[in-house]
Amino acid sequence: MKIEIISFGKIAEFISDQKIDIAEIADTDSLKMHLETLFPELKGMKYKFALNNQLVQANSIINQNDILAIMPPFSGG
Amino acid sequence: MSDKKIKNIFVQGKIEPAFIADSIAKHSSKTGIGGHSIFMGQVRKDEIAGKLVAAIEYTTYEPLALEKMHEIREAVFAKYPLSCMHVYHSLGTINAGEICLFVFTSSAHRKPAIDACSEVVERLKAELPVWGKEIFEDSTHQWKENM
Repeated sequence: MKIEIISFGKIAEFISDQKIDIAEIADTDSLKMHLETLFPELKGMKYKFALNNQLVQANSIINQNDILAIMPPFSGG
Repeated sequence: MSDKKIKNIFVQGKIEPAFIADSIAKHSSKTGIGGHSIFMGQVRKDEIAGKLVAAIEYTTYEPLALEKMHEIREAVFAKYPLSCMHVYHSLGTINAGEICLFVFTSSAHRKPAIDACSEVVERLKAELPVWGKEIFEDSTHQWKENM
């Protein structure tokens, strides 16, 4: 299964926006572990996901062609 | 949900003092208003490890940020008897000393305007997906993090 990942702030410095094949990964908790293997810089960082423009608050099912945003702590204002 | 109108709060570049003055002037016809409260965020020339911040470059995840701002706006309007609320946040590079955030609330009496303004500022700093990259005078950078 393929999804699109987009990233922001300091995370965008080491993860570029791209389509990735996540094989049989089906939810955001498993994807988090997978991404931390692919991008070890993520380990120990604070970040949140948004799936298709919705903030991920609890483990969520991922579908083909979903857009996953990886967001470090906010610093607006 | 179908009748919701999502307002864009983002402006490219600094917020001009003249724009703020115009916004105030536009309210003179709304004579039910008795109190305005305004918050302006200004880019601070912080000194970090001997280096001075020259500017902050702001980026956002716009669809999520506007959705979240809409939610904050609705919640604050439901909580306080406000006549109006205006929010503007800069994107792009804003130099130290320039205005990057403008929040403006108005009501019949001062208290709701003051409380709503403060609540909007606190909530948007905590909840809007906006990132500030502090650019030092020597062109190196670090990412800000709101407490």
